[in-house]
Amino acid sequence: MVERFHSKPLELPKPGHRFERADLVFYDTDHSGPTFEARIFIGAKPGLKSDAGVDHPAYAGSYHVFGHGGCYGEAGHCDIPVERDPFDYRPRHHLEPGVQVVTVTEAIERLVANGKEKAAVDVFALDPDGSPLKALSFSRLRLLTYA
Amino acid sequence: MSTAAPAAAATASQVALRHRRSARRLTQGQLADLREAVTRAQAIGDDRGYQYWAGIHGLPEPMYCQHEESPYFLPWHRAYLYFFEKQLQDRVPGVTLPWWDWTKDHDQGIPPAYARATADGKKNPLASSPIQRRGRRDPKETKTWRHPAGPNSPWLPSPRQLDRVIRGNRDFITFQVQLEDIHNGIHGWVGGTMGDLRVSAYDPVFWAHHCMIDRAWYLWQLEHPGAGATLPADYLDSALPPFRMTVRQTLDVTRLGYDYAAGTAAVPGTSGG
Repeated sequence: MVERFHSKPLELPKPGHRFERADLVFYDTDHSGPTFEARIFIGAKPGLKSDAGVDHPAYAGSYHVFGHGGCYGEAGHCDIPVERDPFDYRPRHHLEPGVQVVTVTEAIERLVANGKEKAAVDVFALDPDGSPLKALSFSRLRLLTYA
Repeated sequence: MSTAAPAAAATASQVALRHRRSARRLTQGQLADLREAVTRAQAIGDDRGYQYWAGIHGLPEPMYCQHEESPYFLPWHRAYLYFFEKQLQDRVPGVTLPWWDWTKDHDQGIPPAYARATADGKKNPLASSPIQRRGRRDPKETKTWRHPAGPNSPWLPSPRQLDRVIRGNRDFITFQVQLEDIHNGIHGWVGGTMGDLRVSAYDPVFWAHHCMIDRAWYLWQLEHPGAGATLPADYLDSALPPFRMTVRQTLDVTRLGYDYAAGTAAVPGTSGG
Protein backbone atom coordinates (compact mmCIF):
# COMPACT_ATOMS: atom_id res chain seq x y z
CA MET A 1 0.00 0.00 0.00
CA VAL A 2 1.23 3.46 -0.85
CA GLU A 3 0.05 7.02 -0.32
CA ARG A 4 0.99 8.12 -3.78
CA PHE A 5 1.45 6.64 -7.21
CA HIS A 6 3.39 8.28 -10.05
CA SER A 7 3.13 6.48 -13.37
CA LYS A 8 5.42 6.19 -16.30
CA PRO A 9 4.22 8.47 -19.10
CA LEU A 10 1.07 7.17 -20.77
CA GLU A 11 0.76 7.62 -24.52
CA LEU A 12 -2.05 10.05 -25.30
CA PRO A 13 -4.34 9.91 -28.34
CA LYS A 14 -2.87 11.43 -31.50
CA PRO A 15 -4.31 14.83 -32.41
CA GLY A 16 -6.23 13.31 -35.33
CA HIS A 17 -7.72 10.54 -33.19
CA ARG A 18 -11.22 11.70 -32.33
CA PHE A 19 -12.80 10.37 -29.18
CA GLU A 20 -15.97 11.09 -27.26
CA ARG A 21 -14.88 9.63 -23.97
CA ALA A 22 -11.64 8.75 -22.23
CA ASP A 23 -11.47 6.47 -19.19
CA LEU A 24 -8.66 5.63 -16.83
CA VAL A 25 -9.10 2.03 -15.69
CA PHE A 26 -7.41 0.84 -12.50
CA TYR A 27 -7.20 -2.95 -12.19
CA ASP A 28 -7.11 -5.07 -9.02
CA THR A 29 -7.84 -2.16 -6.73
CA ASP A 30 -7.66 -2.94 -3.02
CA HIS A 31 -10.54 -2.08 -0.71
CA SER A 32 -9.60 -4.05 2.39
CA GLY A 33 -8.43 -1.05 4.42
CA PRO A 34 -9.85 2.41 5.16
CA THR A 35 -12.36 4.44 3.16
CA PHE A 36 -10.51 6.89 0.95
CA GLU A 37 -10.53 9.07 -2.15
CA ALA A 38 -8.06 8.31 -4.92
CA ARG A 39 -7.45 11.78 -6.38
CA ILE A 40 -6.06 11.66 -9.90
CA PHE A 41 -3.96 14.16 -11.80
CA ILE A 42 -2.70 13.83 -15.36
CA GLY A 43 0.19 15.73 -16.84
CA ALA A 44 1.02 17.63 -13.67
CA LYS A 45 4.30 19.53 -13.46
CA PRO A 46 6.98 18.10 -11.13
CA GLY A 47 6.50 18.94 -7.48
CA LEU A 48 2.84 18.05 -7.24
CA LYS A 49 1.88 17.63 -3.58
CA SER A 50 -0.85 15.67 -1.87
CA ASP A 51 -2.72 18.82 -0.89
CA ALA A 52 -3.40 19.68 -4.53
CA GLY A 53 -7.14 20.21 -4.80
CA VAL A 54 -9.78 19.41 -7.36
CA ASP A 55 -9.31 22.95 -8.72
CA HIS A 56 -5.71 22.13 -9.72
CA PRO A 57 -5.27 22.47 -13.50
CA ALA A 58 -4.03 18.88 -13.79
CA TYR A 59 -6.87 17.37 -11.75
CA ALA A 60 -8.64 14.73 -13.82
CA GLY A 61 -11.06 12.94 -11.48
CA SER A 62 -11.40 10.75 -8.41
CA TYR A 63 -12.67 7.40 -7.32
CA HIS A 64 -13.85 6.58 -3.83
CA VAL A 65 -13.32 3.34 -1.95
CA PHE A 66 -15.72 2.25 0.79
CA GLY A 67 -13.24 0.32 2.85
CA HIS A 68 -13.62 -2.86 4.86
CA GLY A 69 -11.44 -1.45 7.61
CA GLY A 70 -9.08 -4.38 7.94
CA CYS A 71 -9.44 -8.04 8.78
CA TYR A 72 -11.67 -8.96 11.70
CA GLY A 73 -12.10 -12.73 11.34
CA GLU A 74 -10.00 -15.63 12.44
CA ALA A 75 -6.90 -16.88 10.64
CA GLY A 76 -7.59 -17.31 6.92
CA HIS A 77 -10.88 -15.36 6.98
CA CYS A 78 -9.59 -12.61 4.75
CA ASP A 79 -7.50 -14.81 2.45
CA ILE A 80 -8.79 -14.45 -1.08
CA PRO A 81 -9.15 -17.85 -2.80
CA VAL A 82 -6.43 -18.35 -5.39
CA GLU A 83 -8.40 -20.76 -7.54
CA ARG A 84 -12.10 -21.15 -8.02
CA ASP A 85 -13.94 -24.34 -8.90
CA PRO A 86 -16.08 -23.75 -12.02
CA PHE A 87 -19.02 -25.24 -10.11
CA ASP A 88 -18.54 -22.91 -7.16
CA TYR A 89 -21.61 -20.69 -7.25
CA ARG A 90 -20.99 -19.07 -3.91
CA PRO A 91 -20.65 -15.28 -3.94
CA ARG A 92 -17.14 -14.03 -4.59
CA HIS A 93 -14.94 -13.25 -1.60
CA HIS A 94 -15.66 -9.83 -0.14
CA LEU A 95 -12.06 -8.75 -0.51
CA GLU A 96 -11.51 -9.75 -4.12
CA PRO A 97 -9.88 -6.77 -5.82
CA GLY A 98 -12.03 -4.46 -7.89
CA VAL A 99 -11.79 -2.41 -11.05
CA GLN A 100 -12.19 1.35 -10.94
CA VAL A 101 -13.13 3.34 -14.02
CA VAL A 102 -12.73 7.11 -13.95
CA THR A 103 -13.88 9.17 -16.90
CA VAL A 104 -11.22 11.77 -17.66
CA THR A 105 -12.34 13.02 -21.07
CA GLU A 106 -11.87 16.72 -20.38
CA ALA A 107 -8.40 16.28 -18.95
CA ILE A 108 -7.21 14.23 -21.93
CA GLU A 109 -8.77 16.64 -24.41
CA ARG A 110 -6.95 19.49 -22.70
CA LEU A 111 -3.58 17.77 -22.88
CA VAL A 112 -4.01 16.76 -26.52
CA ALA A 113 -5.09 20.30 -27.41
CA ASN A 114 -1.88 21.56 -25.79
CA GLY A 115 0.19 19.30 -28.03
CA LYS A 116 1.13 16.74 -25.38
CA GLU A 117 1.95 13.25 -26.66
CA LYS A 118 2.55 11.59 -23.31
CA ALA A 119 1.58 12.37 -19.74
CA ALA A 120 2.19 10.79 -16.35
CA VAL A 121 -0.62 10.00 -13.95
CA ASP A 122 -0.38 10.90 -10.27
CA VAL A 123 -2.74 9.38 -7.73
CA PHE A 124 -3.03 10.32 -4.06
CA ALA A 125 -4.98 8.34 -1.45
CA LEU A 126 -6.69 10.81 0.89
CA ASP A 127 -9.07 10.61 3.82
CA PRO A 128 -12.10 12.97 3.95
CA ASP A 129 -10.02 15.59 5.77
CA GLY A 130 -7.46 15.54 2.96
CA SER A 131 -4.77 13.68 4.89
CA PRO A 132 -2.70 11.11 2.95
CA LEU A 133 -3.34 7.43 3.66
CA LYS A 134 -1.30 4.37 2.81
CA ALA A 135 -4.26 2.75 1.13
CA LEU A 136 -3.50 2.76 -2.59
CA SER A 137 -2.91 -0.52 -4.38
CA PHE A 138 -3.68 -1.65 -7.93
CA SER A 139 -1.95 -3.85 -10.47
CA ARG A 140 -2.32 -1.95 -13.72
CA LEU A 141 -3.56 1.30 -15.20
CA ARG A 142 -4.89 1.79 -18.73
CA LEU A 143 -6.18 4.75 -20.68
CA LEU A 144 -9.07 3.84 -22.93
CA THR A 145 -10.69 6.15 -25.46
CA TYR A 146 -14.03 5.67 -27.14
CA ALA A 147 -14.92 7.13 -30.53
CA MET B 1 -56.53 16.73 -11.49
CA SER B 2 -53.89 16.26 -8.87
CA THR B 3 -53.71 12.98 -7.03
CA ALA B 4 -51.33 11.10 -4.80
CA ALA B 5 -50.67 8.60 -7.59
CA PRO B 6 -47.13 7.52 -8.48
CA ALA B 7 -45.22 8.55 -11.54
CA ALA B 8 -45.79 5.12 -13.07
CA ALA B 9 -49.11 4.23 -14.67
CA ALA B 10 -51.86 4.88 -12.17
CA THR B 11 -54.09 2.00 -11.21
CA ALA B 12 -56.53 1.51 -8.41
CA SER B 13 -54.12 -0.80 -6.61
CA GLN B 14 -51.53 1.94 -6.39
CA VAL B 15 -53.70 4.09 -4.15
CA ALA B 16 -52.08 2.42 -1.17
CA LEU B 17 -48.55 3.38 -2.24
CA ARG B 18 -46.51 5.12 0.41
CA HIS B 19 -44.25 8.02 -0.40
CA ARG B 20 -40.68 8.35 0.63
CA ARG B 21 -39.98 11.99 1.34
CA SER B 22 -37.02 14.30 1.65
CA ALA B 23 -35.50 14.17 5.13
CA ARG B 24 -35.39 17.96 5.06
CA ARG B 25 -39.09 18.34 4.33
CA LEU B 26 -40.75 16.00 6.77
CA THR B 27 -43.63 17.43 8.75
CA GLN B 28 -43.34 17.34 12.51
CA GLY B 29 -45.78 14.46 12.57
CA GLN B 30 -43.91 12.44 9.95
CA LEU B 31 -40.64 12.97 11.78
CA ALA B 32 -42.20 12.04 15.11
CA ASP B 33 -43.54 8.82 13.56
CA LEU B 34 -40.12 7.94 12.16
CA ARG B 35 -38.44 8.53 15.51
CA GLU B 36 -41.07 6.48 17.28
CA ALA B 37 -40.66 3.61 14.81
CA VAL B 38 -36.87 3.59 15.22
CA THR B 39 -37.15 3.82 19.01
CA ARG B 40 -39.53 0.88 19.13
CA ALA B 41 -37.36 -1.14 16.73
CA GLN B 42 -34.34 -0.46 18.92
CA ALA B 43 -36.21 -1.91 21.88
CA ILE B 44 -36.68 -5.29 20.18
CA GLY B 45 -33.86 -7.79 20.56
CA ASP B 46 -35.01 -10.42 18.07
CA ASP B 47 -35.12 -10.55 14.27
CA ARG B 48 -37.66 -7.73 14.10
CA GLY B 49 -35.37 -5.27 15.80
CA TYR B 50 -33.11 -2.49 14.58
CA GLN B 51 -29.92 -4.21 15.69
CA TYR B 52 -30.73 -7.38 13.77
CA TRP B 53 -31.41 -5.44 10.58
CA ALA B 54 -28.37 -3.21 10.90
CA GLY B 55 -26.26 -6.33 11.40
CA ILE B 56 -27.31 -7.88 8.10
CA HIS B 57 -25.19 -5.37 6.18
CA GLY B 58 -21.88 -6.05 7.93
CA LEU B 59 -21.04 -7.31 11.38
CA PRO B 60 -21.83 -9.74 12.89
CA GLU B 61 -20.96 -12.27 10.23
CA PRO B 62 -22.13 -13.28 7.73
CA MET B 63 -21.75 -9.97 5.91
CA TYR B 64 -24.40 -9.85 3.21
CA CYS B 65 -23.99 -6.39 1.66
CA GLN B 66 -23.08 -6.06 -2.00
CA HIS B 67 -20.40 -3.50 -2.85
CA GLU B 68 -17.15 -3.16 -4.83
CA GLU B 69 -18.76 -2.98 -8.24
CA SER B 70 -21.01 -5.92 -7.44
CA PRO B 71 -23.74 -6.12 -10.07
CA TYR B 72 -26.16 -6.52 -7.17
CA PHE B 73 -25.30 -3.26 -5.40
CA LEU B 74 -28.54 -1.44 -6.24
CA PRO B 75 -31.00 -4.37 -6.20
CA TRP B 76 -29.58 -5.74 -2.94
CA HIS B 77 -29.86 -2.42 -1.14
CA ARG B 78 -33.35 -1.81 -2.52
CA ALA B 79 -34.43 -5.15 -1.03
CA TYR B 80 -32.62 -4.29 2.22
CA LEU B 81 -34.41 -0.97 2.58
CA TYR B 82 -37.73 -2.58 1.67
CA PHE B 83 -37.54 -5.21 4.41
CA PHE B 84 -36.19 -2.76 6.99
CA GLU B 85 -38.96 -0.28 6.19
CA LYS B 86 -41.51 -3.06 6.60
CA GLN B 87 -40.19 -3.65 10.11
CA LEU B 88 -40.57 0.05 10.88
CA GLN B 89 -44.11 -0.02 9.49
CA ASP B 90 -44.90 -2.91 11.84
CA ARG B 91 -43.94 -0.60 14.67
CA VAL B 92 -45.67 2.55 13.33
CA PRO B 93 -48.05 1.94 10.41
CA GLY B 94 -47.54 4.18 7.40
CA VAL B 95 -44.03 5.35 8.27
CA THR B 96 -41.54 5.48 5.39
CA LEU B 97 -37.81 5.96 5.08
CA PRO B 98 -36.84 9.51 4.08
CA TRP B 99 -34.02 10.35 1.67
CA TRP B 100 -31.11 12.66 2.31
CA ASP B 101 -30.33 14.72 -0.76
CA TRP B 102 -26.59 15.18 -0.29
CA THR B 103 -26.29 17.15 -3.53
CA LYS B 104 -27.88 20.15 -1.80
CA ASP B 105 -27.58 22.18 1.41
CA HIS B 106 -23.90 21.40 1.80
CA ASP B 107 -23.60 24.18 4.38
CA GLN B 108 -26.08 22.31 6.53
CA GLY B 109 -24.45 18.92 6.02
CA ILE B 110 -26.34 16.07 7.63
CA PRO B 111 -30.06 16.95 7.77
CA PRO B 112 -31.09 18.42 11.14
CA ALA B 113 -33.59 15.58 11.63
CA TYR B 114 -30.58 13.27 11.94
CA ALA B 115 -28.00 15.70 13.30
CA ARG B 116 -29.71 17.12 16.37
CA ALA B 117 -28.68 15.35 19.54
CA THR B 118 -32.09 15.79 21.12
CA ALA B 119 -35.66 16.00 19.92
CA ASP B 120 -38.63 17.09 22.02
CA GLY B 121 -36.47 17.01 25.10
CA LYS B 122 -35.39 13.41 24.54
CA LYS B 123 -32.40 11.76 22.93
CA ASN B 124 -32.81 11.82 19.16
CA PRO B 125 -32.88 8.18 17.99
CA LEU B 126 -31.80 9.32 14.50
CA ALA B 127 -28.59 10.95 15.74
CA SER B 128 -26.92 7.83 17.07
CA SER B 129 -27.57 4.16 17.68
CA PRO B 130 -26.17 1.52 19.98
CA ILE B 131 -24.05 -1.17 18.30
CA GLN B 132 -24.76 -4.69 19.48
CA ARG B 133 -21.86 -6.46 21.12
CA ARG B 134 -21.29 -8.94 18.28
CA GLY B 135 -21.52 -6.15 15.69
CA ARG B 136 -18.64 -4.05 17.01
CA ARG B 137 -15.41 -3.62 15.10
CA ASP B 138 -13.90 -2.40 18.36
CA PRO B 139 -15.22 -3.61 21.74
CA LYS B 140 -15.14 -0.03 23.01
CA GLU B 141 -17.29 1.33 20.16
CA THR B 142 -20.66 0.83 21.81
CA LYS B 143 -22.57 3.37 19.74
CA THR B 144 -22.34 5.07 16.36
CA TRP B 145 -20.51 8.34 15.85
CA ARG B 146 -19.81 10.71 12.95
CA HIS B 147 -16.96 12.92 11.86
CA PRO B 148 -18.31 14.84 8.86
CA ALA B 149 -15.87 16.68 6.62
CA GLY B 150 -16.53 20.31 5.69
CA PRO B 151 -19.17 21.71 3.31
CA ASN B 152 -16.60 22.32 0.58
CA SER B 153 -15.33 18.76 0.55
CA PRO B 154 -15.06 17.32 -2.95
CA TRP B 155 -16.57 14.14 -1.52
CA LEU B 156 -20.00 15.81 -1.57
CA PRO B 157 -21.43 15.67 -5.10
CA SER B 158 -23.14 18.58 -6.80
CA PRO B 159 -26.59 18.22 -8.40
CA ARG B 160 -24.81 18.38 -11.78
CA GLN B 161 -22.53 15.48 -10.91
CA LEU B 162 -25.45 13.26 -9.96
CA ASP B 163 -27.46 14.41 -12.95
CA ARG B 164 -24.57 13.49 -15.23
CA VAL B 165 -24.45 9.99 -13.80
CA ILE B 166 -28.21 9.54 -14.16
CA ARG B 167 -28.64 11.07 -17.62
CA GLY B 168 -25.28 10.17 -19.08
CA ASN B 169 -25.46 6.39 -18.70
CA ARG B 170 -28.09 4.31 -20.43
CA ASP B 171 -26.18 1.15 -19.57
CA PHE B 172 -27.33 -0.05 -16.15
CA ILE B 173 -24.04 -1.55 -15.01
CA THR B 174 -22.06 1.59 -15.90
CA PHE B 175 -24.65 3.74 -14.16
CA GLN B 176 -24.53 1.49 -11.10
CA VAL B 177 -20.73 1.63 -10.85
CA GLN B 178 -20.66 5.42 -11.12
CA LEU B 179 -23.47 5.82 -8.60
CA GLU B 180 -21.67 3.47 -6.22
CA ASP B 181 -18.63 5.73 -6.38
CA ILE B 182 -20.74 8.72 -5.29
CA HIS B 183 -22.22 6.49 -2.58
CA ASN B 184 -18.74 5.58 -1.34
CA GLY B 185 -17.82 9.26 -1.08
CA ILE B 186 -20.83 10.03 1.13
CA HIS B 187 -19.95 7.20 3.50
CA GLY B 188 -16.45 8.63 3.75
CA TRP B 189 -17.69 12.20 4.12
CA VAL B 190 -19.91 11.33 7.09
CA GLY B 191 -16.99 9.43 8.57
CA GLY B 192 -16.88 7.62 11.89
CA THR B 193 -19.12 4.56 11.91
CA MET B 194 -20.54 5.41 8.49
CA GLY B 195 -17.07 5.34 6.98
CA ASP B 196 -16.62 1.63 7.63
CA LEU B 197 -18.53 -0.92 5.58
CA ARG B 198 -18.69 -3.38 8.48
CA VAL B 199 -20.66 -1.15 10.85
CA SER B 200 -22.13 1.66 8.75
CA ALA B 201 -25.72 0.36 8.81
CA TYR B 202 -25.95 0.89 12.55
CA ASP B 203 -25.91 4.66 11.97
CA PRO B 204 -29.51 5.82 11.41
CA VAL B 205 -28.38 8.20 8.66
CA PHE B 206 -27.24 5.13 6.66
CA TRP B 207 -30.89 4.49 5.75
CA ALA B 208 -31.47 8.06 4.57
CA HIS B 209 -28.27 7.91 2.52
CA HIS B 210 -29.25 4.65 0.85
CA CYS B 211 -32.77 5.89 0.31
CA MET B 212 -31.22 8.69 -1.77
CA ILE B 213 -29.19 6.10 -3.69
CA ASP B 214 -32.37 4.13 -4.29
CA ARG B 215 -34.10 7.32 -5.42
CA ALA B 216 -31.28 8.00 -7.89
CA TRP B 217 -31.84 4.54 -9.36
CA TYR B 218 -35.59 5.29 -9.55
CA LEU B 219 -34.81 8.55 -11.40
CA TRP B 220 -32.48 6.65 -13.75
CA GLN B 221 -35.30 4.19 -14.48
CA LEU B 222 -37.61 7.08 -15.38
CA GLU B 223 -34.90 8.65 -17.54
CA HIS B 224 -34.13 5.43 -19.42
CA PRO B 225 -37.37 3.47 -19.73
CA GLY B 226 -36.79 -0.04 -20.97
CA ALA B 227 -33.04 0.07 -20.39
CA GLY B 228 -33.32 -2.72 -17.80
CA ALA B 229 -34.98 -5.01 -20.34
CA THR B 230 -31.60 -5.75 -21.89
CA LEU B 231 -30.27 -7.30 -18.69
CA PRO B 232 -29.69 -11.07 -18.91
CA ALA B 233 -32.35 -13.36 -17.47
CA ASP B 234 -29.94 -15.20 -15.18
CA TYR B 235 -29.01 -11.85 -13.63
CA LEU B 236 -32.62 -10.76 -13.23
CA ASP B 237 -33.53 -14.09 -11.65
CA SER B 238 -30.63 -14.02 -9.19
CA ALA B 239 -31.55 -14.17 -5.52
CA LEU B 240 -30.50 -11.42 -3.14
CA PRO B 241 -29.63 -13.28 0.06
CA PRO B 242 -30.67 -13.25 2.81
CA PHE B 243 -33.83 -11.79 1.32
CA ARG B 244 -36.45 -13.89 -0.44
CA MET B 245 -36.40 -11.59 -3.42
CA THR B 246 -34.80 -11.62 -6.87
CA VAL B 247 -33.28 -8.77 -8.84
CA ARG B 248 -36.34 -8.78 -11.09
CA GLN B 249 -38.63 -8.28 -8.10
CA THR B 250 -36.81 -5.10 -7.13
CA LEU B 251 -37.13 -3.34 -10.46
CA ASP B 252 -40.52 -1.67 -9.98
CA VAL B 253 -40.81 0.28 -6.73
CA THR B 254 -44.58 0.56 -7.10
CA ARG B 255 -44.77 -3.23 -6.78
CA LEU B 256 -42.91 -2.84 -3.51
CA GLY B 257 -45.55 -0.40 -2.33
CA TYR B 258 -43.69 2.89 -2.41
CA ASP B 259 -42.89 5.78 -4.69
CA TYR B 260 -40.70 8.86 -4.61
CA ALA B 261 -43.14 11.07 -6.51
CA ALA B 262 -45.50 12.59 -3.99
CA GLY B 263 -48.11 13.57 -6.56
CA THR B 264 -48.84 13.70 -10.25
CA ALA B 265 -51.14 15.68 -12.49
CA ALA B 266 -52.36 14.29 -15.81
CA VAL B 267 -54.51 15.39 -18.75
CA PRO B 268 -55.63 13.37 -21.77
CA GLY B 269 -53.20 13.22 -24.70
CA THR B 270 -53.88 13.38 -28.43
CA SER B 271 -55.73 10.07 -28.37
CA GLY B 272 -57.95 11.34 -25.60
CA GLY B 273 -56.99 8.45 -23.29
